Amino acid sequence: MNDPILAATDIRKTFGDIEVVKGVSVDLQPGEFVGLVGKSGSGKTTLMALLSGLERPTSGQTTLCGKDIGAATEDELALFRRATIGFIFQSFQLIPTLTAWENVAVPLFPEKMAEEERRERATSLLRQMEMEHRLDQLPGTLSGGEKQRVAIARALVNHPQIIFADEPTGNLDSHTGQAIMEILTTLHREQGLTILMVTHDLELSQSADRLLRMQDGALVP
Amino acid sequence: MRFAYVWRELTLRKRRHLTAILGLAVGIALLVILQALAGAYRQAARAPLAEIGADITIQRSGDVPQNLQGAVFPCSAVTIRQQEVEQISRMSGVRATGQALLLWVFDQEQFTMVLGIDPANSLGPGKLRNFVVKGRFLEGEGRQALVESTYAREKQIKVGEMVTILATSYPVVGLVDGSLASKIALANVYLPLAEAQALAVASPQIQGVSPFARGDVNLVFMKADQEAIPSLAVALKTALGDKTSVATPASFLRQLGNLFALSDKFASATSGIVMVVAFLMVFKTIAGGIQERAREIGVLKCLGWTSSNIKAQLLAESLALCLLAGLVGIGFAGLVCFGLSLQELQIPIPWEMNPTPHFLPGGGEPVFKTVRLPVQLSWPLIGLALMLALMVGAITSGLCIGRITRIKPSEVLRHE
Repeated sequence: MNDPILAATDIRKTFGDIEVVKGVSVDLQPGEFVGLVGKSGSGKTTLMALLSGLERPTSGQTTLCGKDIGAATEDELALFRRATIGFIFQSFQLIPTLTAWENVAVPLFPEKMAEEERRERATSLLRQMEMEHRLDQLPGTLSGGEKQRVAIARALVNHPQIIFADEPTGNLDSHTGQAIMEILTTLHREQGLTILMVTHDLELSQSADRLLRMQDGALVP
Repeated sequence: MRFAYVWRELTLRKRRHLTAILGLAVGIALLVILQALAGAYRQAARAPLAEIGADITIQRSGDVPQNLQGAVFPCSAVTIRQQEVEQISRMSGVRATGQALLLWVFDQEQFTMVLGIDPANSLGPGKLRNFVVKGRFLEGEGRQALVESTYAREKQIKVGEMVTILATSYPVVGLVDGSLASKIALANVYLPLAEAQALAVASPQIQGVSPFARGDVNLVFMKADQEAIPSLAVALKTALGDKTSVATPASFLRQLGNLFALSDKFASATSGIVMVVAFLMVFKTIAGGIQERAREIGVLKCLGWTSSNIKAQLLAESLALCLLAGLVGIGFAGLVCFGLSLQELQIPIPWEMNPTPHFLPGGGEPVFKTVRLPVQLSWPLIGLALMLALMVGAITSGLCIGRITRIKPSEVLRHE
């Protein structure tokens, strides 16, 4: 077995008096597609934030791609995320003032890179997502499915080692949701991407190699 | 690319950004207009003295002569001793001095204003050299006269003829158009200084009021270092006594009175208040924008933007907004300044510097120097306005930095 790409040991998160994540330990192997399922309020999104370094745990240790993310500063974490992680959100989180290709290129903005190269990388990914006809459209003019395709392209633009997807089909109809799931499955299968996907939809989670079930802030068998 | 992001952010919240831009633009425009106006008044106040090439004129007032007969001094210009002229010429900050002697000559029911000038000195009435319309200017010493062209027309005096002052005849060597020169250097007949001094020395009326020796004068013109003018004015008054009248650009500004004082004081106070209000408007816009864009900032952090990257973006947006406001403000100020520059300004000449006696037609009336108000946008003023606009942008975004740092990347997940 390879070294895990993600290893969390006894991580806990408390907001005030409420312990939202209760001593979770989990490993993800490179190339694994893991579904994190649970009811609303079970703490799965908070766990994803902790595992991806968006939130700091109250206690416990997380190693992601060989880096102890608990010891890193905010800016170190930002740079680490830029180089290593791709995010896909339920509400797409596109910048409303930027066009589709510009949104894909947002993670590359701070990089010293020729404008043409940025555009080329973003365009190439949007072509993969069958969005080449919508390159210069603003998010407001795109459908939900198109927005999520743009968001997936954005998650891939920095060649991440792992993708965190938080309810990626949550705001889509079932048909479009299925299409998005096919894209993620294809990326996993063909490019060997490691994916941790948070969902409450057990049917969608069937695409994952492995399921983690969360209940009341803890992983359950 | 970044520019596209900056520009689109500015155009997204059009109404709010337009309000902030207009607010700051009005502040910048008002600041520029008032500064330009105050500068124009200062420049206009130099005009009367600048026309005679001087920064300072000095006269001393004295008593009214008992009889208006022969050569007399105007009561506003009595003797300034040669030694006094030499003393003040050595004062620190003085670059050059010129002298003249103004006489009122009452001769057989005829009145003549006579100004004795040093033809070799271009300071003061020597500037008249540029306004000779016929013949030539005075040269060297010896009997010769230059006649003011209007006076010459009235008295039908021609170049080559003789003009008689107190029984002494002087050949007319030229005619000069006094209307082109400053009213300060106005006279009917101009003589070499030594000739005018001889008339004064021989006059019992002058000697009775203000003893006069050869070499003395009653008008002194001074060129001085600009920064030294205020202190020189005080030193001259101290050296020559209380009855001395020292005219400087500042004293002409005082003649302009309330109008200038209003614009000068108004410039600082009003501009300050408007800029503070404009600053608050911009701050509110930028701070409000950050508040509204907390989720967007969270997304950027998720996607690997460091706090510095985000601060640079917001700084660029803030600077662009304020630069735009600065340019709009300068444009608006340019239009207003152009309108103001078409206006004429009448600068009152102090009574003691008016050589026309009160008993002659027009003599008692106030004398004005009319100038076009030189309101213009100077490059330093434009630079200052732009710098101020950019400073507002930099300070407002600087004040918002704390808010950016407090926004967590996980903010984006809370809004899911």
